[in-house]
Amino acid sequence: MSYLNPLRLHFAGTFQAAPSTVNNDPAHFDNETFLPRYQKYGPGATDGWWNPRGNADFRLIGCKVTAAWQAGKPVSGDSILQCLIADSDTRVAGKLVDLDTEQQMVSEIWGLEVRICTADGSTLVKGRFQPAAFADIWQRVPTGTPDSYYGAMYQSVLVDLHWADVSGSPFLTALKDAASTGRLSIKFNVDGFDDNVTSPTFTQGRIVGTIGPAAADEPAHLVFGRHFLATPQNPLNCCVATVDESAGLVYVDVGNALPTSSAGGPMANLGALSLGYVLPPDASSSSAVLGIDNINYFHLPDQYQPDWYRQTAGVAVLPANRALSPAEIAAVNKYPLALVLTDASGNAKVAISEPSDGLYVRADQFVYRLEPGETAEVKLYATAFGKPLAGATVMNILDSSQLQGQAVSDTGKAPHVATPPGAVNFPCSVVTDSRGIATLPIGTSDPGNPRHYIDGQVYGVRPMLLDTMPPPVGYPFNATEFISILLWSEYKIVSPPTWQSLKPIFQQYANLYPVMDTFLNLADYESVCKHRNLLLLAFGLPVSDPNSMPVTRDLSPAKRAAILQWLEHTGPDGKPLLGTASPTAPTATASKAAETGPPSASMKGGKGAAMARRMVLKRRT
Amino acid sequence: MILLKSEVAANLDGTLPGVHRALQQAIELEHATLPTYLYALYSLKPGKNERIASLMLSVILEEMLHMALACNILNAVGGHPKIDKPNFIPAYPGPLPGGIESNLEVPLSPFSQALIEHVFMVIEEPEDPLQFPVRATALAAGAPLTIGQFYDGIKQCIIELSKKGNIFTGNPSYQLTKGFPSSELRAVHDVKTASTAIDTIVQQGEGTNTSPIDPQHKPAHYYRYAEIFHGKTLVPNTTPPPDFAYAGEAISFDPDGVYPVVTNPALAGYAPKSAAAINNDTFNYTYTSLLRALHIVFNGEPDRLFAAIGLMESLKELAFAMMSAIPAGPTMPGLNAGPSFQYTRTV
Repeated sequence: MSYLNPLRLHFAGTFQAAPSTVNNDPAHFDNETFLPRYQKYGPGATDGWWNPRGNADFRLIGCKVTAAWQAGKPVSGDSILQCLIADSDTRVAGKLVDLDTEQQMVSEIWGLEVRICTADGSTLVKGRFQPAAFADIWQRVPTGTPDSYYGAMYQSVLVDLHWADVSGSPFLTALKDAASTGRLSIKFNVDGFDDNVTSPTFTQGRIVGTIGPAAADEPAHLVFGRHFLATPQNPLNCCVATVDESAGLVYVDVGNALPTSSAGGPMANLGALSLGYVLPPDASSSSAVLGIDNINYFHLPDQYQPDWYRQTAGVAVLPANRALSPAEIAAVNKYPLALVLTDASGNAKVAISEPSDGLYVRADQFVYRLEPGETAEVKLYATAFGKPLAGATVMNILDSSQLQGQAVSDTGKAPHVATPPGAVNFPCSVVTDSRGIATLPIGTSDPGNPRHYIDGQVYGVRPMLLDTMPPPVGYPFNATEFISILLWSEYKIVSPPTWQSLKPIFQQYANLYPVMDTFLNLADYESVCKHRNLLLLAFGLPVSDPNSMPVTRDLSPAKRAAILQWLEHTGPDGKPLLGTASPTAPTATASKAAETGPPSASMKGGKGAAMARRMVLKRRT
Repeated sequence: MILLKSEVAANLDGTLPGVHRALQQAIELEHATLPTYLYALYSLKPGKNERIASLMLSVILEEMLHMALACNILNAVGGHPKIDKPNFIPAYPGPLPGGIESNLEVPLSPFSQALIEHVFMVIEEPEDPLQFPVRATALAAGAPLTIGQFYDGIKQCIIELSKKGNIFTGNPSYQLTKGFPSSELRAVHDVKTASTAIDTIVQQGEGTNTSPIDPQHKPAHYYRYAEIFHGKTLVPNTTPPPDFAYAGEAISFDPDGVYPVVTNPALAGYAPKSAAAINNDTFNYTYTSLLRALHIVFNGEPDRLFAAIGLMESLKELAFAMMSAIPAGPTMPGLNAGPSFQYTRTV
């Protein structure tokens, strides 16, 4: 099931993502040392970086349905082919939000509504995009520069579906029937992001995607299927496939797996690309691969198919002109799938494959924001060759290697991540049930204030199947697949809360989000009082609402409660309480505790800098 | 002064459908001033000309209130406000909607004193403006209706129709009572509340025949714009008559505090795929989304108001981004782009 379905549509167009970049640098969170120039544009990782006035909007622009499939056949003559995929036309844009300044590699989309609409904008179906983080980020343009050279993908579900009369479209009628679960599956690939402030298409990039039904019991952000895992030597990125045994077909999605020759441009010509399965014992040998069919992203030798990516979003259903024989299906169920590249001379090599044992485990939702004392019930899905892996032991490891705890260029400091380790606790192992599912409870306690001027702490937890440990040399591994947690510090409300007690919070938002000065000065008592009613509404909205403040979703519920309490209760002058200034809190410890180091990321884009700051790359000195 | 063509009066034919049509016209007319006022307001640089911005914003908020009141009245008498439709936004430059008997071309133009005098004060000019000090006499009123007369006609129709039977058959849950001071935005459910709503609209817009001050103790719109034009607040005259004079605090205007923004962007045209065009499309899509959101608010879901307010805030930020930093294009050297306020269902 999922979007890899005989009933699906593909779309292509443009996305916009306009986050503020002042908060890319952890040192900018320090109110004591914040400088006005941090709100100005600066090349690379300097000053306010590439988009200091970003408003966090995430939009779908000019996205057209490019193809549709019903019962496994291409749809023609159906009005769905004239439709658009659009975002909300009654609410503000969705928002793109990092989890934390020290975990910028799981940027989530919040508050997005997705519509299938007619060419003139009339809604046929709309649904709420369940917040999701990107996955499988990689350098998609081998010769490019950050951040435009990155590709990534989002997978989620659309919920709270509202259907208009779709009887005029057999495809949409079938989709509506198939969506009796109340959900649709959506997956899209993003690349070619334009972070050049002087460009007309600044903050835009390419998006191609797929929408299909979602089964009631399947994960929202993960295909319960066959996972191709990359090693550093693989020219292709991680990707996924499912096997439809009854139809004798393999659905494979290489939409975020093929490198491109330029940012947002054509696929790079890697030669003939084919799907096959690997006979033992040598999974790395292409001669042991039995082919299923080719993926025709090129008319070889060198004629690129410009519509291939737009019309398929990288999804291929193979073999194209036959069904797999029962013997082939038996083999496919037993042996790892592989994608093979064959050059003009006929030299073939495995470009990426499933692990030789076909084992895979991943959390469905892998980004959490937690209060001290709160427990996340993380659902883990384990498979072997795409089938539920029952009774498997999943080992869980505290792993901060992919968090960004290193210094940023010209500020030269960054607080430690993942300390104290004891503030998150979880069983070292859990066992999957008959459906291959295990629930991993991640409990929390107050981490204290280890980062001083940044609330809470970030942690990483990596689930791994015991049967894959220790991994043999060359065993494929997706380093980006772990659970990211932002654990907030405990916060005791000063009673009654006053401006003086809350000002540091407001000041930090005023520093980090200069765009707010369009509306008010968050650091100014009078300005905040003047906008009290609007702030009460915005801080009181559920974080799923696109208008929720703060846009960054990084305000702890305890601090939110304090702000709301303060805004609600006015003094004799009709304003929320001013209070008296408290002695300045010592900040010297912050810089002492800070990690200092040489500039490491000065001329990269936001994600490029974050990539370079991962703990796994920390210099041992 | 804005005068409505005499055929507008034909709607006030003593029938309930006529009242519905007249109120729909009122809604469109109240809205039609907003893009031109907002364009001028947005063009003021933050931190500069703040007094002027504050006065303009106070007028804009009341125009929004008037639109909401007109919707409440229409809903109360069983009508259905239509806000989400392409011709709801008039073309700028152009006349205000509703059969305006005037040569007034309303532009989208950055703030200037001339804009205040020649457009905004004309739009808001009362039937018989009180002159402090005396300015040129108002245009001679002919057969056409003034806005005040138009609203008075609606009120009289409601009163007369109510004598024949209950016309307040609308669903009470459709009334919007949030988003504005409760003293100004009230539910409409009978002749008395409908009359109060109409009086609020007229008095805030025009003042009364005897005083430029509205019931909320603020100068009516015309006089607020006149304050900006004269550069001084309207205060009680220490040596009457007249009772008031533009003799209060200075309202200084700093010409450097206005972004250099293109006038009438729809006419000027942005080059396809330019930053100006892309951002203008986003603004227009968002403005259209606002109309759709308001349509929902005034057609049964008043609790959705905050989504509409969120869109208004987003529009402000999108306009600021254009006017402060995005060039209008090589054919308009030195000018920044501004939003064209055009109905756009898709981007």
